[in-house]
Amino acid sequence: MILFALLLIPFTYLMLALLIKKAGIKKRLALVFSTLNLLWAMALIPIVQFKEIIVVQMGGWSAPFGISLVADRFSVLMLLVTAFIFFLTTVYATQSVDKARRKNGHFFFTFGILMGVNGSFMAGDLFNLYVWFEVMLMSSFILVSLGGERKQLEGSIKYLILNLISSLFFVAGIGLLYGKLGSLNLADLSQKMELARANLAVLNPALILIFVGFAIKGALFPFFFWLPASYHTPPPAVTALFAGLLTKVGIYSLIRFYTLFLYYDAGFWQQVVLWMGALSMVIGVVAASSQYDFRKILSFHIISQVGYVVIALGFFTEAALTAAIFFLVHNMLSKTNAFLVAGWVHREKGTLNLKVLGDMFKKSPVWGILFFISAFSLAGLPPLSGFFGKYLVLQSGIEAGYTGVALLALFVGLFTLFSMVKIWLEVFWKKQPEDSAMEWPVNQKPAHWMLFSSLALGAAIVAMGLWAAPIAEYCEAAAQDLLNPSKYIEYVLGPS
Amino acid sequence: MNNIILEKIALLFLRGMAIMSVFLLLRGHNSPGGGFIGAIVLAIGFIFYSMIFGSERIERILYFNTRIWMGIGLGLVLVAAVWPVFLGLDPLTGLWYTGNWPLLGEIHLGTPLIFDTGIFIGVAGLILSVIITIMEVLKWNT
Repeated sequence: MILFALLLIPFTYLMLALLIKKAGIKKRLALVFSTLNLLWAMALIPIVQFKEIIVVQMGGWSAPFGISLVADRFSVLMLLVTAFIFFLTTVYATQSVDKARRKNGHFFFTFGILMGVNGSFMAGDLFNLYVWFEVMLMSSFILVSLGGERKQLEGSIKYLILNLISSLFFVAGIGLLYGKLGSLNLADLSQKMELARANLAVLNPALILIFVGFAIKGALFPFFFWLPASYHTPPPAVTALFAGLLTKVGIYSLIRFYTLFLYYDAGFWQQVVLWMGALSMVIGVVAASSQYDFRKILSFHIISQVGYVVIALGFFTEAALTAAIFFLVHNMLSKTNAFLVAGWVHREKGTLNLKVLGDMFKKSPVWGILFFISAFSLAGLPPLSGFFGKYLVLQSGIEAGYTGVALLALFVGLFTLFSMVKIWLEVFWKKQPEDSAMEWPVNQKPAHWMLFSSLALGAAIVAMGLWAAPIAEYCEAAAQDLLNPSKYIEYVLGPS
Repeated sequence: MNNIILEKIALLFLRGMAIMSVFLLLRGHNSPGGGFIGAIVLAIGFIFYSMIFGSERIERILYFNTRIWMGIGLGLVLVAAVWPVFLGLDPLTGLWYTGNWPLLGEIHLGTPLIFDTGIFIGVAGLILSVIITIMEVLKWNT
């Protein structure tokens, strides 16, 4: 029940949102339910510290036959960060998203995403993971296109088609895997693969299909096209939510998949993962430097930042997995906050084109500082969370003997800094070009809740930098669990 | 122009499909069938009916808005999922009732039926809301 509640909370909201017609009540309920979700996720942390791996079997059917929800330290951390980001974007959306969208179910579909994301983080078998992915994707398809602006529809077509292709790969892989091994429970599969260690090549077609499915969802190097093509089109609150949660679910699944299955055939997969991570890192950051749209730059940076997590996964030592988890959390927070600031700029000026923006720091130093915090945390400057994330990744890389990749990561950091400084200078520092100064009417609507959520995220980023040691300790414990799949198997299937 | 034969056939078809859908819903747990399939069969009947009479007639038959129906469906699913938790069991566990009733003989009921009914109502509501929206946009038969 402790885990099931995280599915129940969004589900109850979905039910109530269908039954209630008034937009105002739905908004308040959304706030209440996202708070509940956050509180529940917070309560899971001490429980998981005590129990190590929480397992719930749906309907009382024992593990390989029924549906199990499993949450170890890594999942619970992801659930907590998701709940935090979701709560803040909901608060943000009450002022940022226009009334027509809110009336037509903006909150309804964001809760659909929450349900899908929560489900994917807890899924104990591959098919349920697929189903939760679909729940998440269906809601995100609608959120991308909700409002029906011309630009939005163009973006959502690309988003829809490429993500459907990834689902096709994923489910095809699941089918092949089931045909070969006769089970889809993650723990059971891992156990069976260990027994079949000598003949793992038979499973490669299925594993590659699933891997490609995750890589598309996580926007890794050869499969990232959909992300920059669609993320700059929906309202900023939606982009912030997507940037914080969606690709990260793909990466989470990749880490889970790698630590449970792919590492048996590490000789092959480690190279693949390292190359994909390194190339995503470089290509994302290079592509970003040629962009002139606030949100497009940030979207390309998602690809590059995800690369860091994936190379850390490729190093595959305890320190590296610690770094990957830490970096993933840092990235979710900083990226969301950067998009929240973009949303404020969009609201004030009606555009996010760097060439016509300017003077925003004078307009509001607080928002300027908030952008500074998140952008320079992404670039990896010292007292912020990004510094420790990058430091851990680099250190573990050098320790594991991948100095080349680690140095590459360092260079990518430099380019990230370049992009962030570019946004900073163009949007906040430079004088607004005169010909575009009077183009947009000044917006007088209140934005205090938007500021609140951005402040909370900014505080979280700084706190994560200041208290990096205890968080890294938690991540280390999570990494130990990830490196020891027999523990996961034992908790799910019961002692053998 | 009213074509009386077509109208009667459409009505008959709707009734036939409605009965068939309830039959499919009830046999669902142990034999092929279930809430989802039943809902689709019911929706086919409604679609045929609305092609002839227009979408307002379905809205009148449904009484509630389709959104409300979807909400009721989800509510039933929720009840079936949470009920066992209050008895100290895992969520979604099936609870069964067996008893002998006069006239009806042995009755065997459980929470899976509530769950399936929820799916039935929810899916039928969803399909009909899509159909009604499309018909309103196309101004079909109005």
